Amino acid sequence: MASVEYRGMNLVIPENDSEWREHFKLARTSHRLMLRACKGCGLMRYPPSHGCPWCMSLEWEWKPVSGRGHIYSYEVVHHAIQPGFKEWTPYAVVLVELDEQRGQPTPDEALRVIANLVTPEFRPEPEQNVAIGKRVRVVFQDLSADFALPQFTLTDEPAEGRVWRFPG
Amino acid sequence: MASLRDKYCIVGVGETEYSRQSARSTRAMAVEAVRNAMRDAGLGKDGVDGMMSYQSGDSVFSNFVAPDLGIRLNFYMDVFGGGSSTEALIGLAMGAIEVGMCHTVAIFRSMNGYSDFRIGGTGARAAQPVRGLDLAQVPFGMRSAGQNFAPTFMRHMYEYGTTSEQVAHVRVAHSKHASQNPKAFLKDRVTVADVMASRWICKPLHLLDCCLETDNATALIVTSAERARDLRRKPVYIMGVAGRVNKPRTDFHWAHGPISRVAGYHAKDIVFGQAGIKPDDVNVTGSYDAFTFTTMLQLEEYGFCKKGEGGQYVSSGIIELGGKRPNNTSGSHLCEGYTHGISMVIENVRQLRGQVDDYCPGWEDGKHSYDYSPGKCRQVKDARVTMNLGWAMPPTGSALIMRS
Repeated sequence: MASVEYRGMNLVIPENDSEWREHFKLARTSHRLMLRACKGCGLMRYPPSHGCPWCMSLEWEWKPVSGRGHIYSYEVVHHAIQPGFKEWTPYAVVLVELDEQRGQPTPDEALRVIANLVTPEFRPEPEQNVAIGKRVRVVFQDLSADFALPQFTLTDEPAEGRVWRFPG
Repeated sequence: MASLRDKYCIVGVGETEYSRQSARSTRAMAVEAVRNAMRDAGLGKDGVDGMMSYQSGDSVFSNFVAPDLGIRLNFYMDVFGGGSSTEALIGLAMGAIEVGMCHTVAIFRSMNGYSDFRIGGTGARAAQPVRGLDLAQVPFGMRSAGQNFAPTFMRHMYEYGTTSEQVAHVRVAHSKHASQNPKAFLKDRVTVADVMASRWICKPLHLLDCCLETDNATALIVTSAERARDLRRKPVYIMGVAGRVNKPRTDFHWAHGPISRVAGYHAKDIVFGQAGIKPDDVNVTGSYDAFTFTTMLQLEEYGFCKKGEGGQYVSSGIIELGGKRPNNTSGSHLCEGYTHGISMVIENVRQLRGQVDDYCPGWEDGKHSYDYSPGKCRQVKDARVTMNLGWAMPPTGSALIMRS
């Protein structure tokens, strides 16, 4: 059973957790963002799951993606629920839309991932820099020899469409 | 299949007080709430033979509540779930009675939601390991309901120009309603400025955009229209129900857009189709207010206004007592107390009876002043049709239409 302590949380992956047992390990060992791709229709999906939501195939393989995308939505947590996040506040949680498979298989669908928006030093990006539309890339926060959290950081690429920041 | 519209009724409602320090078990509270609902209906221990409840691993089961009241059950079922469970269980209770498994079902939710198992992930939940699907969000500091829903709210603001001031009116309206409710945990009226000045919890949510956490139990009783005729209260008829309707990809609903769309988009045709009515025919709504935004999102999704115009709708005065279609007249989760939705259903039952328990001296006889100034009346005049819009998460919801 993989188990890692992070910000006071005990992240646990039992051996029979066939959804997650490889995901964070692959992130650590390859430092690439790997997603499950259906062997039937080829479409990728996240989070890791057994069946293809589009063609019902149970056959899949890991496939690397670029780890680049833009902020589709976000929030800024000021009141941390988890004690280990208190020293991080205010911190941004971002919903990143990856460049691959945008608008597939229907116009409203995409590969989207939840993560924190962090600086290269893995500190929370100041909230005035967080906005819908800004471009980001994946970075890996190593927590142990076999566990890394995929996080995202801003890039200097031109934004995706309209840049919008919560006015409050 | 023949329609079940108007063939089943809610005949009894009851609850405990709303507190933050119940100092007793969920069993004790459930027993009191179920007993109150049975007394309200005029039912003795032989009058109920079915029981259902919902919980999140934080409450008592039906088979431990029934014995305290001398009830022998022919059917019971306790399900896992929070918001949106009540409406779904009412539909299942109708089915259990329809096939002859039992004749009358008590449904309850009992929770020490402040003093013990707090929904937000603090309290007894904080020590639990993070595993399974939680690994997609919790390690990133996204655990509480507010943190889980905020990207949906933010995207709605981005797409439609919805403002914080607009949705703050939900709190304003519900606090006005709570000021007419002797049971409400918070009875003070607030203004838009109060909401905007309250501290940030998780942008775009201020403290006053968020509901309460409280300890309480709530119960209601479902039976057939035939049985309902002989009972103490005027029956309230069930016209339509939609239970735990989902968007695609409920495991990770962010994958399927638009994320500003919520489950009501898929539930509305089911429930309005059964009831044979339109949104305009509804006099009172009960749109789940875990947050100001959840009320707004559901009202627009069910067609009380156009998609994207929810901000204008909730800030127009329509949803306040005295407005065209008041919402959550008890003050509900933002002000009355937190019950995972069942209290909003029993409030609508009381509205349809014309017997809302406000400060009018003759409320129990249906005598109301319709004076909506503080500490007075909260009965809606001529409330004939109500609708509950239950929320579990952005991708899961339920709905219930009732009539007098």
